[in-house]
Amino acid sequence: MNIKDITEDRLNLFIDEQLDTDEMNEIREALLEDKQLREQVCQLKAVRELVGYAYSEVPASHQEIKDKKRPSKFVGRAVAASIMLVAGIVLGWSTYEYSPNFAPAISAENTFQYVANHVTTDDRQRKIILHIDSSDLTVVDAALNEADYLLATYRKANKPMKLDIITNKTGIDILRPNISPYINRIQQLVDEEGVELFACIRSIRKAKARDGNEVVFMPGVKSAESAREIIPARLKKGWVYIKA
Amino acid sequence: MEIVKNLVAAFSLKSEFAARRRKLYRIAYAWSHDAALADDLVQETIYKALKNASKLRDMATIDSWLYRILYNCWQDYLRVKGRHVEFVEMHDENQPGQSDNYQQSQIVKRVRASVEQLPLSLREVVTLADFAGFSYSQIAEITDVPVGTVMSRLFRARQALKQQLLEFGSDELSELKLRRVK
Repeated sequence: MNIKDITEDRLNLFIDEQLDTDEMNEIREALLEDKQLREQVCQLKAVRELVGYAYSEVPASHQEIKDKKRPSKFVGRAVAASIMLVAGIVLGWSTYEYSPNFAPAISAENTFQYVANHVTTDDRQRKIILHIDSSDLTVVDAALNEADYLLATYRKANKPMKLDIITNKTGIDILRPNISPYINRIQQLVDEEGVELFACIRSIRKAKARDGNEVVFMPGVKSAESAREIIPARLKKGWVYIKA
Repeated sequence: MEIVKNLVAAFSLKSEFAARRRKLYRIAYAWSHDAALADDLVQETIYKALKNASKLRDMATIDSWLYRILYNCWQDYLRVKGRHVEFVEMHDENQPGQSDNYQQSQIVKRVRASVEQLPLSLREVVTLADFAGFSYSQIAEITDVPVGTVMSRLFRARQALKQQLLEFGSDELSELKLRRVK
């Protein structure tokens, strides 16, 4: 499916899971490629959530007033929780995709809020994939800072978290010891935080054809699948996706 | 023995209706934005549901069956009152049991105001989908329109809400960021 063929009404059906499996997968893949499309989906989802929360508490019915001896002490808590969630959704609009140009606006707190509101609310481990498709220093610096922020924030909040880094296109270069200035920093993430590293097999083939040499990676890099296979599979399993 | 069985069945059904009362009321409120009217609609719905309980063949369909009755009560009300035009502001701000924080929530107010501005047919569909969580086919059954119509109404409703709430989203975002700094 061409990205241009994905109209807003298709996206509407997509967020309600009213398309068949093939169409759902095609749109999921297109979302990985197209920032504007991701933004559209995020906005539609936000509208849906906002409508839900706007009516989660309404004025008490006469029946309820009759039934109630005194106001429930839980109302305040429910309201606070609703407002926090809505706030999270609004923040989510800005943090759905990580953009280096927008870096000053993003804090670890914002990201934490976003993630916290988009994954399960129990104490199960949060799972996040950080997708890096560029070797541009600004992009990589910002992405690794993001990784540090996320790990530090979750540690501080005493929440378990699993972070994996998936690279493709020129992003795979950050995992190559002979050319990457980030090897030590990334190795630290692997050793201390258990971060797993993936390099897209298609991008490796292209790099090999381009450079004429075998592509050598730092130890532990997994390279059996393409980013297009890994990312949708993770999303289906409930991982949160952050794009550098 | 048969009488006892029927009594137990009636009691059980009444409990099922009572358990759904709050959610029915919220939907009725989302459509009418009038607490007293929403209350009346739900009362009438429960009354009609009890009266026609024998028509409910499958308990698995109880939700769409009840909402269908509620929807019909709402349509009857609109017909009788001749109110096929939009409602004007009808918020009853000082209802007991409502938290001040909640009343002051600009987010909730803004979203409700935007929903209120939607044409009724869009408002009904978007609240059934996004608040009550019904599938397209259930909404089609409740509102007695083809699934395609549900799709197009939902699409138009969300488009309209998106346009209004996006601007609001960026305002709120700045405000929230400032709050975080404090």
